[in-house]
Amino acid sequence: MSSQPRDQADQVQSDAATACVALSNISVVYPGQEHHPAVQALAGFSLRVREQEFVSLIGPSGCGKSTLLRVVSDLIPPTEGIVEVNGRKPAEARLARDVGFVFQDAALLEWRRILENVSLPLELAEMSRMEREERSRQLIDLVGLKGFEAAWPRQLSGGMRQRAAIARALATKPRVLLMDEPFGALDQITRDRMNMELVTISEATRATVLFVTHSIREAVLLSDRVVVMSPRPGRILSVIDVGLPRPRSLATREDPNYMALIRLGAAELEKGYAGHDG
Amino acid sequence: MTDRFADSERVGIGWLAKAWPLIWPPIATMIIVGVVWEVTTIALEIPSYFIPAPSKIWSAFWGNPSALMFHSGVTLLEAVSGLIIGSFLGALLGTGFAYSRLLTRGLLPFVIAANTIPVVAVAPIIILWFGHGIESKIVVTAFLSFFPLALNMMKGLQSYDRTVMDVFHVAAATPAQRFFKMRLPSALPFVFVGIKINVTFSVIGAIVAEFVQADKGLGFVIMTTYRTLNMPRLWAALIISAVIGLVFFAIVTAVERLTIPWHSSMRVEP
Repeated sequence: MSSQPRDQADQVQSDAATACVALSNISVVYPGQEHHPAVQALAGFSLRVREQEFVSLIGPSGCGKSTLLRVVSDLIPPTEGIVEVNGRKPAEARLARDVGFVFQDAALLEWRRILENVSLPLELAEMSRMEREERSRQLIDLVGLKGFEAAWPRQLSGGMRQRAAIARALATKPRVLLMDEPFGALDQITRDRMNMELVTISEATRATVLFVTHSIREAVLLSDRVVVMSPRPGRILSVIDVGLPRPRSLATREDPNYMALIRLGAAELEKGYAGHDG
Repeated sequence: MTDRFADSERVGIGWLAKAWPLIWPPIATMIIVGVVWEVTTIALEIPSYFIPAPSKIWSAFWGNPSALMFHSGVTLLEAVSGLIIGSFLGALLGTGFAYSRLLTRGLLPFVIAANTIPVVAVAPIIILWFGHGIESKIVVTAFLSFFPLALNMMKGLQSYDRTVMDVFHVAAATPAQRFFKMRLPSALPFVFVGIKINVTFSVIGAIVAEFVQADKGLGFVIMTTYRTLNMPRLWAALIISAVIGLVFFAIVTAVERLTIPWHSSMRVEP
């Protein structure tokens, strides 16, 4: 575990062949409108995420973390810079259904039961009914929703809805999973449980995960690397390598290194604010 | 394991027991009002052309039931056809409005203006154009049904959740998939609001059009019985038109329950 300034971080992860998500020099400017000046969300952001790596992005509100995920998933184009997802343009990776996205809001279709919600991406990919039902049932088991296949979304709690959203994002077996504060709206107890289950899920699916969070604890617990970002416009302040042993478990929280990493992360975050004020 | 969420309560014999709390209060109201009405008109010797007693209305109906049923059938046909045609065309234009800002800006002001014209002013023109047969009544009804669906369809198609749209985008959905699997289902609750408004409008529209010129239909019965002051028969026609509207509304509500059981408005609460 160590903290590196961002130009060094790039060199450490410079092996292009194994990079699953490669961002170089990304800037995003939201154009101004009447009464709204233009906003620079990201400025010269570079990051390489290895295959099957779990990377968390942490930083103050409005630092462009979500914008970054939207760039990777081709929801918005970067104003400047080059994005590669599995060696392809974001639009190509998206059309190949190689990207899964879990939003802060579960965003389930309220007119579909849980099974049909989970199988939506497979239905859009025109997979046969038999196949997509089988795959969806496996995913529902994986996220711990067995028995709720026929429930309407409004019959489920927030945590359960988010489980369904995770299952849906995994439906097409994407190699890249983007998660934008997926547990932000949950209570602490549910959130802790969901964290442990995400450990299991990410180890089972072996997807590359880009995870946005406000919680340094959550970031350290789940990640291989934690990227600490500055206030807007978002830049990388430091990258923390989390060397904690895998598989992670509740015991991970007892690890003295875990506490040290959290303190380190908190200190790095604080620097960003100090630099911003000065 | 999954039957906990199945809709088993919707089928089976239990429906009468479940529906009973909804059925008996209006029946009780009807009986009480009927008895009070009957007793008052007899006790106060109110002339039957002024307010006919329920028994008089009843016998006016049974005096020539087949004729009244024929006229009711004509009005019902006009109302249903007009409702379906008008709602369908309104929904099409509403879809156009939802997808094209230019179309909305170009046409919506005129649609709103057309909707403010009273139907009694439009009906003679339509009858002039389409003749005094059943077709002109259907057109008048369709005209009335057009606006509520156009507006509700537009609002409904625009009311989708933005994050759900993002989900569809990331999942590489085609424009057709977005429409049929997301925007249209989101719009359905609005569509039913529009159709329920139209149910009432369509019966009114058909009868008003018959007032202007017709040789059959409930509007025709009401006009002719008024001229001959055969008031019990007029009241019978009036009650039939109300029953048509009510049954019509109940059918739409039942279809709504089957179509959008997921919607929050469908929650079974007193």
